[in-house]
Amino acid sequence: MGSVLRRVLFFFRRNQFDRDLEDELRFHEEMKAHALADADGMSGDEARAAARRRMGNPLRLREQSREPWSFVTVETVAQDVGHALRLMRRDPAFTFTVLATLALGIGLNTAIFSVAYGVLWRPLPYPNSDRLVIIPTAQQTEKGIRTFWTWPPSSYEALWPRVTTLEHLAAYNSIDAQLTGRGEPLQLAALEVSPNFFATLGVTPARGRAFLTGAAAPDDDRSAIVSDRLWRTSLNADPAVVGQSITIDGLPRTVVGVLPPDFSFRPVVRIGALPEAEIFVPSRWLGDTRMNASLFLLGRMKPGVTLERAEAELTALVNDPSISPAGALDTAGTIARNVHIVARPVGLQEYGTESARRLLLILLGAVSFVLLIACVNVANLQMARLSARRGELSVRMALGAGRRRLVRQLLTEAVVLSLLGASLGVMLAQIAIYVTLPLVPPFALPRLGGIVIDGRVMVFCLGLSLVSTLLIGLVPALRVSGAAFGESLALHAGEARTTGDRQGERLRTLLVAGQIAITLVLLIGAGLLIHSFVRLTSVSPGFELSGRDGVVQTVKVALPERLYDEPERIHAFARGVLDRIQYLPGVTSASLVNSAPFGMPFIRDEFGIEGQPKPTLDVGQPKIDANYFKTMGIPLLAGREFTAQDTAAAPKVAIVSERIARDYFPGGPGKALGRRVRLGDRDQWRTVVGVVADIRQMGLEGDVQPMLYVPFQQERSGFVRFVAFVARTAAPASVAEGIRAEIRRAAPDLPIEITVTMDEAVAASVAQPRFRTLLLALFAIAATLIAACGLYGLMAYAVTQRRREIGVRMALGATRRDVLRLVLTRALRIVVVGVIVGLAGAAGVTRVLQRFLFGVTPTDPIAFTIVTLLLMAVGLIAAWLPARRATRIDPSAALRAE
Amino acid sequence: MKEAKTRSKNELLPGTLEMLILKTLSIESMHGYGIAQHIQMLSADVLTIEEGSLYPALQRMLVKGWVLAAWRVSANNRRARFYTLTAAGKKQLGVEESRFSQMFGAIMRVMKTT
Repeated sequence: MGSVLRRVLFFFRRNQFDRDLEDELRFHEEMKAHALADADGMSGDEARAAARRRMGNPLRLREQSREPWSFVTVETVAQDVGHALRLMRRDPAFTFTVLATLALGIGLNTAIFSVAYGVLWRPLPYPNSDRLVIIPTAQQTEKGIRTFWTWPPSSYEALWPRVTTLEHLAAYNSIDAQLTGRGEPLQLAALEVSPNFFATLGVTPARGRAFLTGAAAPDDDRSAIVSDRLWRTSLNADPAVVGQSITIDGLPRTVVGVLPPDFSFRPVVRIGALPEAEIFVPSRWLGDTRMNASLFLLGRMKPGVTLERAEAELTALVNDPSISPAGALDTAGTIARNVHIVARPVGLQEYGTESARRLLLILLGAVSFVLLIACVNVANLQMARLSARRGELSVRMALGAGRRRLVRQLLTEAVVLSLLGASLGVMLAQIAIYVTLPLVPPFALPRLGGIVIDGRVMVFCLGLSLVSTLLIGLVPALRVSGAAFGESLALHAGEARTTGDRQGERLRTLLVAGQIAITLVLLIGAGLLIHSFVRLTSVSPGFELSGRDGVVQTVKVALPERLYDEPERIHAFARGVLDRIQYLPGVTSASLVNSAPFGMPFIRDEFGIEGQPKPTLDVGQPKIDANYFKTMGIPLLAGREFTAQDTAAAPKVAIVSERIARDYFPGGPGKALGRRVRLGDRDQWRTVVGVVADIRQMGLEGDVQPMLYVPFQQERSGFVRFVAFVARTAAPASVAEGIRAEIRRAAPDLPIEITVTMDEAVAASVAQPRFRTLLLALFAIAATLIAACGLYGLMAYAVTQRRREIGVRMALGATRRDVLRLVLTRALRIVVVGVIVGLAGAAGVTRVLQRFLFGVTPTDPIAFTIVTLLLMAVGLIAAWLPARRATRIDPSAALRAE
Repeated sequence: MKEAKTRSKNELLPGTLEMLILKTLSIESMHGYGIAQHIQMLSADVLTIEEGSLYPALQRMLVKGWVLAAWRVSANNRRARFYTLTAAGKKQLGVEESRFSQMFGAIMRVMKTT
């Protein structure tokens, strides 16, 4: 080890070394000249010249003297790299294969890593973001553990002054805001925030100020802060915007601040990430008793406070009855018995990434498998070439290149290949990200903005190329350094096959079998997802998609509370628009609903049946108009639809879905007719006039939802915040335009939120499974291709190596069939070994996919069987080509050649 | 550049050069020129040590810690770099000597057999 230290020290004293060496050599030269002058009687100059001649090239001498000190000299590295590049040029097919394989492997990994890093690990754009937490509560009740992400305003008010582990505690509430008076009315994601929200995040607006806190706060209630994007797009990047007034939800608000460009806050809800908030308005929720003010609590822990400490304090506080969150309070205002409440802060970084995390880790695992297979292929190619290069290598050894030198040469070749492959891979990743990010379904990944190929991703990529260097360089290098190889070079140079060769081939066979095993695991994963996706998409949503009369076009609008505060106004608006839509050209039938399936908020609540104990079932409670079932194509099982006569003044009516009828009115759908039901506890009794089929409301993977439909015109509670107009039509595009025009005519300031057909909505609901299935399938296909190339390469090489043997067999009477069988059996044996290992591995690994599977188990026999057969077929095809070549060997030529 | 492996007609057996240098230095500290002279003289001009082998060998031995180098004044009153044997160098000399005599004996046995 001392020598290493001395070399390191030498590195810092290079100049001194050069001077010393020069002095030393000059001294030597003079002594020599002196000796020559003494012996041969030369003059001083002659002697010096002679001495110099005899000492040879001084530069070379200096180089050689310096060499022992360096770890690897620049010269030999340059030599090795040059040699590697020459070799690559000489064999373009090999180079192309290797670079393409590596670029694919490294590129896929880099792309997926950049996504995973951006979504999961990139620090949030707030100072000390690791101290930011979201605080939910979890409650243990007899129904199990329920997590509540939101709190009532009263809990926030009570909690904040008493918390000691938090530096700040802010609250926010995700709302939609309508910006009017600046061009097209806009529906924007907005946040109602407590005034200390920005102080908690540690963000200061780029222009203007944050909201006022403390005693000044009430003066600030009519203010707003806007995002940089909104400022640029809708406010014309006006530098004097601070102090101006904008209209939000019909109310004037003063812009007090514009956020910095890199600010981003994406509220996350259960179904995924919402769009980035563009408008922030202050709210203190003082004395707010509205049910819908559900606040998310955002805390900043004091420095040095751990999550556990914060959890302990918050849990103690929330178990205090004056603070307890809504779900835990019974009507008497105390904590229900047997309820244990926990307030467990979640880092803002992790919050909302749970499902994305699992998916991304799986994808990362899948692509690292692909890279592994790619590297094995390259290592195999290198080894095959090594045998072909035996001549070159033995010449180099004969010329005095030590084993270490040869190993270094091979590793250098691996480094050059890896680095070139990595650079191509980065380009590939860049393209992949550029092409696929727009295809990522909305809500699928939070923080998409954080996905870029930057320094850290490059470091990861370099790390990958290092790993691949080791994988593709070390195996051949070890072979060269092994004793058998040297002997094979020295002693058996003339013979076609040697011990070392056979060893190498055995190793390569094992590697190819390993490749097949890994490929099978990936393929089975993809197969499971595909099977599951087929199952999922064959589920009927319960209503008719594309039918004889065309598709269902829906146009959704949000009704702001401040403009539509009375049921009369809502009904008048909805009725007015619907009346005109019905007569639009191309519309077969039209209706409206407050919560259209697949994509609109959906509330399940209790209901009551006259003369029966309170049902335990929670049901969906859509408000609909006449002709809804006809328009949607939901089968009517008994009774009638609502009609225009079911007005607010008419007797109260309801329609139940099949599930309710079956569970509570046994004996066929007709039994429910004439019975009376109600919404919740305080509603009037409503007579059941019809029974319809169940539908799926939120997605195909869920169960059918029990529904209790009531007429829109009989809904008085004022909770209708959304209306979706639905129309069955064969010309969805023009009808959608027509509906939008009607809405604009009736309410010019109302932004139209969503215009989709039900087919599109259902397709969008499976966009995430489709996307992940597609990705995993692509990776599996890439792996299969690479592994097939590996098997092909191995068999082709084996056939070349065994030309003579095959020739002898054929000369001795083996038919082409026999030869074919010989090669294919060998290939099949490798494939079978790989498949057995792969099946065992898959059985162990596919459990991680459990959460993403629908209607199939992780050991789904269909997926396992089909995929295994598929891979074996691919393996046979890959072996078939070299096998056929083997049958074409001319025995006489093969024997003569040796 | 090509691999540089210059070898003289009177090529030494591999590893012998180091042994000869160690042996020379075990007598007294010496500069490079002196070492070359010493070996050439004692071998009656059979072994000529080329500079291209001598100085890299000395550097190798410095790296391995067998010798130390220091500037001193030479016999003819010139500044010269003197090499001194270290303890590790002395030990190495023993190793090299025994290996050499083993090798030498082996070769001689082969050569004597008729």
